[in-house]
Amino acid sequence: MSALKTLKRWFVDPQFSRKKHFLRSLEIFKDLRDRELGYLVQSLHSRTYREGEVIFVEGDIGRALFVLESGAVELTRRGAGGKPASLHRLGPGDFFGEMALLESLPRTATATAVEKTHLHLLYKSKLDALLHAEPRIGVTIMSHLARLLSARLRRQNAGALSSKND
Amino acid sequence: MTEERRPFHFLTAFIVTGAGLYAFYRVHEALTPFLLAAAFAYVLNPLVSYFEARGLRRSHLVVAGYAGALALGLMAYAGLKSLIITEAELIQTRAPSYLAQMQKTAYAQQARLTKKLPLPPKISEQALESALGGAMGALQDLPARFLGLLPFLAHALLVPFIGFFFLLDAPDGVTAGIQILPSRYVEQAIHLLSEIDAALGNYLRGILIVAAAIAIASFLGLFAMGVDNAFVIALLSGASSFVPYLGAIVGALVGGGMAFYQFGTLSAALKVVALFVGIRLADEIFLQPVIARHSVHLHPTVFLLALVLGGEMFGFIGLVFAIPAACILKALIRVTWSWYSSERGLDAGAAAGAGIPFT
Repeated sequence: MSALKTLKRWFVDPQFSRKKHFLRSLEIFKDLRDRELGYLVQSLHSRTYREGEVIFVEGDIGRALFVLESGAVELTRRGAGGKPASLHRLGPGDFFGEMALLESLPRTATATAVEKTHLHLLYKSKLDALLHAEPRIGVTIMSHLARLLSARLRRQNAGALSSKND
Repeated sequence: MTEERRPFHFLTAFIVTGAGLYAFYRVHEALTPFLLAAAFAYVLNPLVSYFEARGLRRSHLVVAGYAGALALGLMAYAGLKSLIITEAELIQTRAPSYLAQMQKTAYAQQARLTKKLPLPPKISEQALESALGGAMGALQDLPARFLGLLPFLAHALLVPFIGFFFLLDAPDGVTAGIQILPSRYVEQAIHLLSEIDAALGNYLRGILIVAAAIAIASFLGLFAMGVDNAFVIALLSGASSFVPYLGAIVGALVGGGMAFYQFGTLSAALKVVALFVGIRLADEIFLQPVIARHSVHLHPTVFLLALVLGGEMFGFIGLVFAIPAACILKALIRVTWSWYSSERGLDAGAAAGAGIPFT
């Protein structure tokens, strides 16, 4: 039994298992099976950003979803005078740029790494390929994005209604 | 990035790409084994990825795969050893007589044709002599030509060796490449990689399947007909299949010629030609639709142009890589257009039903 364990430890890639474990902890990927998470890990591209490095700029065409594994990212938007205003600060486990998976449209904010940050990128055409090859992965991600969009629309509608009543 | 600086960036990229292509052209012969090894690793990568997705270490998988392939190769050699030796001896002993017989037949036909051609006899004779002389010269040069293929045999050992390192470290190489790119171009670079992968992967894997299918079908067909050197002809036909359409033509010519001189009848040669026509049709009906479904579609004119340019510039290796290069070029054009159209808002359109209020 211990020989089998040793063999398994020798053959199993700890880095790959760590990535799968991390992805499983995220809301958007939590319904995926072990093998599907394996395919997803292979579809992701990883990159480390230095402190202050700009990940994308408001107005750039978005083509990828970013998953934050470590570090922190600040989202800013240009104000009326062109001065950047902070929108949100993201931490480990958060993801952003998800609308790029639906449409290649200009980014609505600038993303900057505020400390050394490790990100995983899921590119739209990789997701499209997954949708064909492993439909369950694509459907799970798309279904989560649809729920997210619906929740945001409801919140926006509620906000618009309350400001109208005020 | 400001609009004024953009043309300079494009110009720089254009000059660097042009210089890179020229440098590649100058040293392409030295790079051939590396190019072949990259293709070899690229074709085998999905197999490694399949097991890697199950959490296994890439390095262990590649080593285990190579050990398994070596064992399989040795087993195949042990099984086919007697056949390979017999065929090699057959070629060695019969090649001079085949050549002499071909010359005899050719010169016998020359006299007949001289009479039949609607030209003055002297001109007909001269024309046929120059045509036959060229063909016979090419035939006599065959051993030298085969010797010229020896460097390619050296590649047969070198390619799996270099391919081993490509298979082992390619994903780390891609990650390192992405890491050194300026962050604003990371998304574009991954877009380009994905498009090239989609176009090229299916083509290369498809052509490999076609080559293997043609080699196996040729061997079985020729063996059933009792044609000598079935194994060598099938290998030749399979290897030629890396150049589109060439496999069946080579098989029909060499196999048909062999059957004609072995059995001495035209019907035997025609049977072999029919076999290769059948193989080609089966490829077109059953394999090509599956391969073409996921790979980039090229217009026949572009297809031919790529082959002619590839052959002219880089010889046989150019013929093999002409279509993959055209696939990469098409992916590059598609990605450039996609960037341009999305930057300019040319493809921005609201989805149907966007005007209906949210409920």
